[in-house]
Amino acid sequence: MKKQVAKLVAGLTVAALAALSMPTTSGAAATLRIWADADRKASVEKVAGVWGKKNGVTVTVVQKDFGKIRDDLKTVDVATAPDVIVGAHDWVGELAANGSVIPLTVSKSASAKIPSYALDAFSYANAKGNKVLYGAPVALENVGLVVNTKVAKVPTSFADMVSQATAFQKKAAGNFGLVIPGGDAYHNYPLFSGLCGYVFGKDAKGNLNPNDVGVGNAKLLANAGDVDSWNKSGLLSSKVDYGIAKNAFLAGKAAFWVTGPWEKDTLDKSGLKVKIVQMPKNKCDSVPFLGVQGFMVTKFAKSHGVESQARDLVGSYMLSAGAQTQLSSENGRAPANTDSAAKIDDRLLKEFAAAGKGGVPMPNIPEMSSVWGDLGTAWTNVFKGADATSAKTAFRTAGKNIKAKIG
Amino acid sequence: MNVPRETNLHMTSGKGVVYRASWLAWLISLFSGVGGLILKVVLLSLLNGLVGWTIIVLFTQDRLAWALGTAAVLAVFDFIYLRPNKLLPAKFILPGSVLLIAYLIVPIFFTINTAFQKYSTGHVLTKSEAITTNIEQNVVQGEKFFMMTPARDASGALVLVLVDDTSGQTYLGRANGLEEIDPSSVQVDEFGDVLPPAGLTALVGDELFGADAELAAFEVPLDGGGVIRTEGISGAYESEPGFEYDEARDMLIATDTGVEYSDNGRGSYVNPSGDELVVGWREYVGFENFTAVITNPLVRQPFLRAFVWTISFAASTVLISFAIGLFLAKLLDKPKFRLKKMYRSLLVVPYAIPGFLSLLVFKGLLNDDYGLINKLLPFDAPWLFDPWWARLSVILVSVWLTTPYFLLVCMGALQAIPAELVEAARVDGATRWQVFKKVTLPLLLVVVTPLLIASFAYNFNNFNNVFLLTGGGPSSDDQSVAGATDILISYTYKLAFEAGKGQDYGLASAISIYIFFIVAAMSASGFLRSKALENMK
Repeated sequence: MKKQVAKLVAGLTVAALAALSMPTTSGAAATLRIWADADRKASVEKVAGVWGKKNGVTVTVVQKDFGKIRDDLKTVDVATAPDVIVGAHDWVGELAANGSVIPLTVSKSASAKIPSYALDAFSYANAKGNKVLYGAPVALENVGLVVNTKVAKVPTSFADMVSQATAFQKKAAGNFGLVIPGGDAYHNYPLFSGLCGYVFGKDAKGNLNPNDVGVGNAKLLANAGDVDSWNKSGLLSSKVDYGIAKNAFLAGKAAFWVTGPWEKDTLDKSGLKVKIVQMPKNKCDSVPFLGVQGFMVTKFAKSHGVESQARDLVGSYMLSAGAQTQLSSENGRAPANTDSAAKIDDRLLKEFAAAGKGGVPMPNIPEMSSVWGDLGTAWTNVFKGADATSAKTAFRTAGKNIKAKIG
Repeated sequence: MNVPRETNLHMTSGKGVVYRASWLAWLISLFSGVGGLILKVVLLSLLNGLVGWTIIVLFTQDRLAWALGTAAVLAVFDFIYLRPNKLLPAKFILPGSVLLIAYLIVPIFFTINTAFQKYSTGHVLTKSEAITTNIEQNVVQGEKFFMMTPARDASGALVLVLVDDTSGQTYLGRANGLEEIDPSSVQVDEFGDVLPPAGLTALVGDELFGADAELAAFEVPLDGGGVIRTEGISGAYESEPGFEYDEARDMLIATDTGVEYSDNGRGSYVNPSGDELVVGWREYVGFENFTAVITNPLVRQPFLRAFVWTISFAASTVLISFAIGLFLAKLLDKPKFRLKKMYRSLLVVPYAIPGFLSLLVFKGLLNDDYGLINKLLPFDAPWLFDPWWARLSVILVSVWLTTPYFLLVCMGALQAIPAELVEAARVDGATRWQVFKKVTLPLLLVVVTPLLIASFAYNFNNFNNVFLLTGGGPSSDDQSVAGATDILISYTYKLAFEAGKGQDYGLASAISIYIFFIVAAMSASGFLRSKALENMK
């Protein structure tokens, strides 16, 4: 009896095993797996699908939260790992140091059509100090100064912006002059760069130098008095968060709003008359942070046997004007390819792109993780109203803490 | 004082306990008889099939240790379940034990193992992977880029048909060298694809997919020492190796300068002047992470303040929640209380809403200028902007979230206190307060103290409450990296994941082990005291 039971179990086990392993044995045709976020999934499916049809490759697009793409890449199993990911340029340093993405070489005719800063943004220095490219830039984004032209004019100078904002704010209770999400180092960067602040300097070869921290540099500290005066006059407050800023502007209660192209649809639908410009020059140019999004080939493409295909999709096809125009029209960002960018006919998108002129790509070295928190805290503290920290102290402290954390 | 241990539910009901055939008993009965045997055989086979398949998957992914471990566990299962009527207790204990090991022991082992490693951004690969990645990242690109089509000649050897991107010169690249050919023999079609000359067949479709690894590794040697490598399926470029690996000396040597990068024993290749290569690997580094925690000024400087705040936060949250919960439970304990059920349901609501939702809602409510709470109050409090007010906010919101738990616990515990004891005390002339203090509370504490300790340990590491409400901020008066409301766990999160060069899992694991010992020590002393409480009776 006992033996029979054991035999029965053994037999059924084999049957169950066979049934379970069926799907894994099939599927020899070339498939390419792409991780993309919800906003881009449809457009990536369409554009990569065209490439796939031409090359006979089945493209599967897996939807992930944008931030999860970077996180999950660390823990994913080879079997389910992506061959290509959509990502932001500021991940590149970490992904390259972890060996998660592989270097690309692109033809000069393709790279000539991409702004050099966008290529640099997707590059990370190797041991020899040479820039190595890890991704194909496809979309650019940056914040701009959105002007409600019904209540304010496009400012001619920084002082003009401040005086218009202050005047509008005093007009009625509940009015705001200029709204920027409080304590947010990204949205406040135009103010920061306008006061001659920077995050990391560059070395002789033009690579970011984590030992040259410009938060709390002498020039910035000398100009920091401006910040205190904006706090004193109530022009800016760290109690205004993203939601408050957005609602105030959409309700027509703010003259100026610092935001990016992800709010383009909102602005289109709002019925407000707006114009987007770069914040006027203060002591230095008030340039925004630039964000570049693109595609990268992961190390898993090699073990999946689709490395050449993935390189072709990313390093060649995705850089083309045709692919970028389509991606741009689907997800509302300016394309990186200059031929494609010249064809944008959306006014707001064009204005956002123009507002990014001379902007600074967000540093892509892993040391940037030490910066966001402390720089954000400094912005919170300087616009706290009555008991605010003086900007000089706040930025000096932030600089000191960031240096200590980088070590 | 001698208290019977049974609950008054049994004592006062007066009726004998009736055992009904429950669904559980019905479920157990399913497993006997011939039908039961078939069911058991099928279930065991399914388990074997599922786990066997898992083992195969693990093997194919080179997880040998995991595969063997899983196989061993499966063997134990089969051994125990295939022996009728022997090892009966083991049949019941086994599933629970396996889950305990899988979800508790393995993570603990994993954490300890990680704590002794250099495992951080730039140190995630194995050493051999790191060597190839460093070589790959340091390939020196030449000037030339080619449009390329992979093809095979009559003998089946791979040949690259190359068209120079700028000059338009055409070549055939073979494994033994480059050959310039007449440009007229190569056509470029309307898609920009290069068509191979006569005698060569372009690789397409499945042939092309099958040649992926071959194509990626293919190199056309050049006279000057460089090579032409493929880039995808339609490009190729001139390149020279930047590093060579000297296996005998375990060194990466820069081909142009001859600078030697050697293993520093801490997961990196370093040159004599101290420059590390970008890509390192995971390496055991002994107690380095543990000493780093102690020697790091970023940790030492605010440690005491963060530690004191963590204890005060956890203790006050637990004590205040318990006090309010007990008070409310006592109120609801009154038999004549009207609308009792409604109040009870309402009071449990904060417990029923997901904590992170409540926290985000509170963050909005507590906004200084635009929040509802300040609009209702006659004065404006800087709830989230002043260090002391922010601490108060964190405690208040945590109390809001924790009180319903203690309300439920106390309601249950109060019911378990025999009414006779209270009545006897009242008859003896004790006041209500005396009854509460001398009878109810001590009896209650016997039951509740372990829960208080558990709740304290939980709040000690209550990352969510702090991180979602204040993010650890505002900045503290000592201007250090730790904010005013940063508890140890949220502060160490900042150190391990938002400092230095990205994430440091080794450091994070070491810190969590330290925190484990702190919490364990405090819980142990708490339990010792609660034992003393129990001895009272």
